[in-house]
Amino acid sequence: MSITTVETWVEPPLRKFVEEARTVLALLLHPSGQVVAQFGFVRAVDVMSACALAAAIHASAGELGKQLEGKAFRGLHHPGRERQLYLAEAATQRGNFIFLTVFDQESSLGLVRLYFDEFCKNLAAAAPAEARRAEPVIEESFEGELNRNLAALFGRG
Amino acid sequence: MSSPFATALAALTRQRGVRASLVVDENDGIVVDSNLQIGQDGDRVAALAASLYRKARLSARAARLGTATFMQLEAERGRICAAGHNDLVLVVVADPAANIGMIRVEMIKAAGALP
Repeated sequence: MSITTVETWVEPPLRKFVEEARTVLALLLHPSGQVVAQFGFVRAVDVMSACALAAAIHASAGELGKQLEGKAFRGLHHPGRERQLYLAEAATQRGNFIFLTVFDQESSLGLVRLYFDEFCKNLAAAAPAEARRAEPVIEESFEGELNRNLAALFGRG
Repeated sequence: MSSPFATALAALTRQRGVRASLVVDENDGIVVDSNLQIGQDGDRVAALAASLYRKARLSARAARLGTATFMQLEAERGRICAAGHNDLVLVVVADPAANIGMIRVEMIKAAGALP
């Protein structure tokens, strides 16, 4: 099982989730689109695309939820013919993260939601006290940060 | 407003030793309707029991045993029973000392009436 992370404290909760929920792909990212951890992806370019799309979908769904119900939607599920997608937010003291996972017939939405709730608790418990506040993403540094994270995940520096 | 499953679920939960009865979507593992005693986590039971039942059904078919009609899991502190019909699964969580024969009869009868 190949899990790669930019921040090491993320690995145990993510590993547990993937093992228990039996998902095919998993991705943890900042709401800005910067990757934090991944499971199941082979190419950096796929992670980059998935992060950009997940961040955009999360932002759109959040706004739509606010318009309809006054608060952002908690999770988003998209069933495909062979594979399904679940996208939701995980809150920690290090800030909020977006979690994207893809699963097939080996799992189910109920199992994914069940283990996602546990993942959120484990992630929040594992998050170290905020030693350094995450710097706000500014346009000048965004691409550099993005490339640094992708290089950390896929072993190119 | 009560669902079409409310009467069957209430009848099952009235059986002695039954802690929870649920109708679950087999593919999604999501609760369609439930009748739970206090302290029972319906979502958790639904997701796990549906997954288990689905795998048992597929295993029975792969082993050329035909259609699975009833599944029972005995554990130290309770039992989980499941009976399916089309894409729905009727799930019961019961105490170890519950009269499983009676519960089984009621479940198969109720599962047959699922849409």
